Amino acid sequence: MEIIEKIKTKQSQDSLTEIQKICLDKLQPSPLPNPKSEQWRLSNKSKFSNFLNYPFNEKNPKFDTPFPKSSQSTIRLVIGDSCQFNLIEENYSIKQLSEDKLVKYIKEQISCFDENENWSDLLNLSLNCTKNTLGLKINGSEIPPIEIFSHASSNSLNAKTLIIFLEKNCDINLLQVNLGKENSSLSQSTFFFLEENSSVNHGVVSYGENKSNLLNSLNVIQQNNSEYNLGSLHFKFNFARFEIRIKQSEGNAKTNIKSMQITKKDEQISTFTKIDFNGPNGFLDQINKSLADDKSHAIFEGSIIVPKIAQKTDASQLSRNLLLSNLAQIDTKPQLEIIADDVKCKHGATISQLNEEELFYMRTRGITLTEASKLQLSSYFQEIISFIPVSKDRWDLLDKLLQEN
Amino acid sequence: MQSQMKESDPILEVENLSASTDNLPILKGVSLAVYPGEIHAIMGRNGCGKSTLSKIIAGHPSYNITNGDIKFLGENINSLEPEERAQSGIFLGFQYPIEIPGVSNLEFLRVSTNARRKFLNKEELDTFDFEELVKEKLEIVKMDHAFLSRSVNQGFSGGEKKRNEILQMALLEPKIAILDETDSGLDIDALRIVASGIKKISNSQTGIILITHYQRLLDEIKPNYVHVMSDGQIIKTGESDLALELEKKGYEWTDNFIKET
Repeated sequence: MEIIEKIKTKQSQDSLTEIQKICLDKLQPSPLPNPKSEQWRLSNKSKFSNFLNYPFNEKNPKFDTPFPKSSQSTIRLVIGDSCQFNLIEENYSIKQLSEDKLVKYIKEQISCFDENENWSDLLNLSLNCTKNTLGLKINGSEIPPIEIFSHASSNSLNAKTLIIFLEKNCDINLLQVNLGKENSSLSQSTFFFLEENSSVNHGVVSYGENKSNLLNSLNVIQQNNSEYNLGSLHFKFNFARFEIRIKQSEGNAKTNIKSMQITKKDEQISTFTKIDFNGPNGFLDQINKSLADDKSHAIFEGSIIVPKIAQKTDASQLSRNLLLSNLAQIDTKPQLEIIADDVKCKHGATISQLNEEELFYMRTRGITLTEASKLQLSSYFQEIISFIPVSKDRWDLLDKLLQEN
Repeated sequence: MQSQMKESDPILEVENLSASTDNLPILKGVSLAVYPGEIHAIMGRNGCGKSTLSKIIAGHPSYNITNGDIKFLGENINSLEPEERAQSGIFLGFQYPIEIPGVSNLEFLRVSTNARRKFLNKEELDTFDFEELVKEKLEIVKMDHAFLSRSVNQGFSGGEKKRNEILQMALLEPKIAILDETDSGLDIDALRIVASGIKKISNSQTGIILITHYQRLLDEIKPNYVHVMSDGQIIKTGESDLALELEKKGYEWTDNFIKET
C-alpha cells in the first residue's frame, strides 16, 4: 500500500493522468506482488523493498551518455528529454506518437494485464507521467541504427516508458541502454509492436553503479512474418529483474533471444521470460546465460506457451549457467506448456563451473590461470554480446566494462 | 642405453616417477632422460600410462606425484604450475586438442607466444608483428590463414586440430615437445605434413618425445630411442628397430619382459 500512497502523496489526485489512475486502481487491491507467486518467490525481499524505498523523482537531470557517439548516422534519444522528435527522410520516417495514440495503446495493453505478472509495468505506468514516456512510430527502409538511453539518478526512483511501433516491411537495429546511478532505482517498461514483415535487432544493455536497482520489463507483440531478435546483458545491479513477454499474435513469426546476466558480490539479477505462441508455425530460439560469482544470486525462469492453435511451432529454450564461487547461487527453470500436438519443442538447463580441461590446455601454452579464466569467460560472453547490435567502438567500451566487472 | 656418456646435460630427466589420481596409482617408477637433439618414442597398450606421463610432465593439476622427480634443464619442476613449465619451454601436443568456443585462434596463439617470449626476455609482439610471424609458421604445417580467425580448434577436423598443435609448437619454440598420439586420426598426407613440420621445428638443441601406437609416424621421424610402457612402468628401452619388432610381434611379446622384470 505504501507505494500507492507515495504516488498519491507526490501528486494530487487531479494531476494524475488517466493511465496513472487506471494502474493505481489495478494495484489498489494488491499493491505489492505476491511473494509466493512463481514470478516473485525467489526475489530477495529486502532488496526489493530497497528498490521501492527511494523517493520518486519525475525530473530527468542531464547526464553524460557513456557510449561515444561516433557515427553521424546513429540516432540517439534519451527518454525524458523534453525535445520533440520527428525525423522524416526520403526512405524512412521516425515520428513521435501523439499523446492520444499513446494513451489508447497503453489502455489496450493494461486491459490484458495480470496484476501479479505485470506488476512491474503497472508500477511503471502508475509512476510515470507522459513526459518520461517516449513513443515512436517507425516506417521505411535503410533506417540508421537507433540508440535509446534511460537512466535513474542517484538517491531516487525514476520511471521511464518506451513504446515503439514498427510498421510493415520495416527493419531496424535498436540499442537500448539502461543505466542506474549510485543508490538509485530505475523502473523501465518497453512496449514493442511489430507489424507484418517487420524485423528488429534489439539490444538491451543494462548496468548499474553501486547499490542501484532495476525493474526492466519488455513486452513485444509480433504480427505475421515479423522477426524479433533480442540480445541483452544485465550486470552490476544490486537488484535487477528483467521480464520479457513476447506474443506471436498470429504465429508465423520468428523470435531469437540471447540474454545474459552477470552477478557478483551479493547482487541478485533475474530474468523471466514468457513466450506465447498464438498461432501456427511460430519459431523461437532462446538461450539465457547466467554467471554468478561471490555470494550473488542469478535466476532464470522461462516459459513457453504453445496452445492448440499453435501447431507446427518450433521452439527451443536453453539455460546455461556458470557458477564461479561456492557461495554463489543459481536458480533456473525453463518450462514448456504444450497443448498443440504437432510441434517441435525442447528445453534444457546446465549449471557448470569453468571447464578444467580448457583451462589446462591454455595453461600448457603459457597462459596464466587468471588470464585463461578471463579468456574462457569472454568466450562465454561472446555468444551473447555478438548478438547485441553494438558497433565496434561501443563493443570496446562494453569489453572494458566487463573486464572491470 | 641411457647410461652412455653424453656431451651435454639432459633437457628433461624423469627419475623414478610415481604418480596417482584419486588415490589410484598410475605411474609406478618411470625413469627417462632426453638429451638435446634426441627423439624418443614411447609405445604401449592403451591405459599403460603414456598419456598420464605426458600430462604429469606438463603439470596437470589432477595428478599427484607420490615419488620421484621431474627435472627440466637441471631444475626440479615438480611444484611448478603448468604455465610456468610451458613458458620455460615444455610443450605438450594433445591427443585430443581442446576446443575453446569464442576464443579466436589468432588471439590465443598471440597470447601464448607472448607469454613464452616474455620468459625468454624477447619483445612481445603486437597484432601486426604477430601476423607476420604466424604467416611464416603456417607454411610449416600448410594451414590456411582462415583457421586463425576461427575459434580455437572449434569445427576443425581431426587433422586440422593436430596441425594446429604443431603450429603452436612452431610458435612457442619449446626446448622439449611431448607429442601425445599426434599421428592418430591423420590420413597419409596429413601425417606427412605433421611429421615434416615436427622435423623442421626440432633441432640439435631440442628434444622430442613421441607417444604413438604406430610405426607409420616413426617411419617419417626416426627415433633415437624407443621405450615400451606397461602398467605405469617402462619395461623395455631400445633403438628404433624395437618399434619395428613391436609392430611385427604385438604387445603380447612385451608381456614376456614384464614376467622377466
